[in-house]
Amino acid sequence: MMNDRLRAVSGQIIAVGAALLMGAVIILMVGESPARVFMTLLRGAFGDQEKIAGTLLQTTPILICGVAACIGLRGGMFNVGIEGQLFLGGFAAAWVGFAMPLPAGIHTLAALALAVVAGAAWVAIPAYFRARYNTNEVVSTILSNYVAVLLTSYFTIFLFKRPGGWSETPPILPTSYLPEIFTFSRLNWGLVIGLVLAVGAALVFRYTKWGYGVTMVGSAPKFAEYGGVNVKRQGFMVLLLSGAVGGLAGGVETLGVHHRFMEGFAPGFGFDGLIAALLANGSPVATIFTALFFGALRNGSLLLEVDTSASREIITVIQALIILSVSAQVLVRKRGDSQAGERRWKF
Amino acid sequence: MEILDRLVNVALIAATLRTTAPILLVALGGSFTTKAGIFNIGLEGQMLVGAFFAVLGSIWTGSALAGVACGVAAALVFALVFAVLVVSFKANEVVVGLALNILAGGMTISLMKAIFGTRGSIVGHGIVGLPKVQLPGARNLLGSWAPLISGFTPLVYVAFIAVPLLVLCYNRTRLGLYIRVVGEKPEAAEALGISITRVRYTASLLCGLLAGLAGAHLSLGYITMFTENMSSGRGFMAVAILIFSNGDPLKVLAGCLLFGFADAFSLRLQTFGYPSYLVLTVPYVVALIALFALSYRARPRVIAETLESMRKLLSVDKNAEPGGKNPQ
Repeated sequence: MMNDRLRAVSGQIIAVGAALLMGAVIILMVGESPARVFMTLLRGAFGDQEKIAGTLLQTTPILICGVAACIGLRGGMFNVGIEGQLFLGGFAAAWVGFAMPLPAGIHTLAALALAVVAGAAWVAIPAYFRARYNTNEVVSTILSNYVAVLLTSYFTIFLFKRPGGWSETPPILPTSYLPEIFTFSRLNWGLVIGLVLAVGAALVFRYTKWGYGVTMVGSAPKFAEYGGVNVKRQGFMVLLLSGAVGGLAGGVETLGVHHRFMEGFAPGFGFDGLIAALLANGSPVATIFTALFFGALRNGSLLLEVDTSASREIITVIQALIILSVSAQVLVRKRGDSQAGERRWKF
Repeated sequence: MEILDRLVNVALIAATLRTTAPILLVALGGSFTTKAGIFNIGLEGQMLVGAFFAVLGSIWTGSALAGVACGVAAALVFALVFAVLVVSFKANEVVVGLALNILAGGMTISLMKAIFGTRGSIVGHGIVGLPKVQLPGARNLLGSWAPLISGFTPLVYVAFIAVPLLVLCYNRTRLGLYIRVVGEKPEAAEALGISITRVRYTASLLCGLLAGLAGAHLSLGYITMFTENMSSGRGFMAVAILIFSNGDPLKVLAGCLLFGFADAFSLRLQTFGYPSYLVLTVPYVVALIALFALSYRARPRVIAETLESMRKLLSVDKNAEPGGKNPQ
């Protein structure tokens, strides 16, 4: 048991190493020194306490989105629409934040609650069709991302634009802020929410009947059906829950960091979360570490654009290479079975 | 009704054909992988690198044709990586496809910054666009309807000619037959000695070829520029079409015309002063509605028919295959 887990972890680490090597080659091609780029990334991510706080700040939305993705992956669902749920959740929270004066504390909770509802509502239609008619959820959730981003831009610019401002809503009222943890950084309680969610999700999967059913449906749907699990209903619930957490990520980002909703406010966090969850092989606790890794890459990349000629998108390249090399690991698993055999990603 | 007249006219239909072309090319590419039993979510990325390298090639060589070749070559590399991971290593198609899409997005922006020192878009720099083909005699033949067949860039014609070619390929050629059998009944293909690996590689590369052309059309067709993520979901719309058409070229054409129309229509609505953000959602919403509306039907599977025709084809040059004589 332990040996298996050790082997799985070391496999992921080797895969990450291989991806970093390939990333180095690409950095060379782009005309930079890989050593300089990696050192700058490291310095930008962990250079001093403000940098570390910044890394944790970037980690927060990736972690929450990662937990959202884990919930889906455990139940055999690819929720690729976390990005869209994040945007709608972010907008919904901002709307409660600036349009609905409430006492402090309650205001924050109300805004987060609406973010959760918005995220779940946005995934509800794809989830329904996935559960009822087996409509491919990958494609429907990806397409709904584009609609969500455009829709929130429309709300922001045509309905709630701050007079004389950029493409952004009015600022939210201070009563709705997520409080900050330290004085020197905008790092806020969102990180704690993320950690609690990750551990909570892990406990639910490990110790509750429902969580066991989800994992069973994700790994062996036929078996689960014979075992008396209502597979369709559960698939719907899994996607809905995943979307709710995705919406929450947007709410946390709005209430904790930006204090308003702006066009394109958190690009890529949804996808980063999905990648973090894939790298963690669907385990919420492992996602804490992969999200931290990607948060560090993101925060380090800010310095990258200042200190080197490389673009910060180079970290996107590295992330993609990591997932590709992790997915290629099947190479070391088993060989020699029938070519016609089913391909499967193990969770 | 007057508004409708101003909205729907020859120009709109011509625009529809234009906007249909790139999505048709990439969807036809995906038709090969779909028929071969591979769910290829990586179309978007193949198209995007195709668009970027087409611009790069066009600048370097000063020739649009060489640009198209560069775009296709880049898309083929992506398709090859996809095939190696998915076919040989049996990695999850969705994971690999998504990763390649993300890679394409990050790589094109990084390269743009490294080569041109800018982000956002590449305009000018001597990009040579594709010429427009004026068919001689179109005006005499069709009068004011001539823009429906003449004045498009070459890849538009390639896209529409590819539809009947693919129909022929699937129904009349050995390769097409092999692709279908591998997709529909891999066990049977294996039993009959068809190399599933080779067929799936071929399908993936053919897909890359067409996706590269689609990308080249995006960046060298009507606008000669490259913008960050300029494929903007067309690859995913193509995947949606492939799901409900099951990769059949004629149904793919019908789906693509629908999206081409939605695209052209939304562009036109914008000129009428409707909020651009809402108008731009139209193609995606249409894609989603079509996906939901059509997916409740079970996908038809013509295994028996395929096996029958394959047995005929094989018995031409080989003695009758004993393995195929046991229809369940």
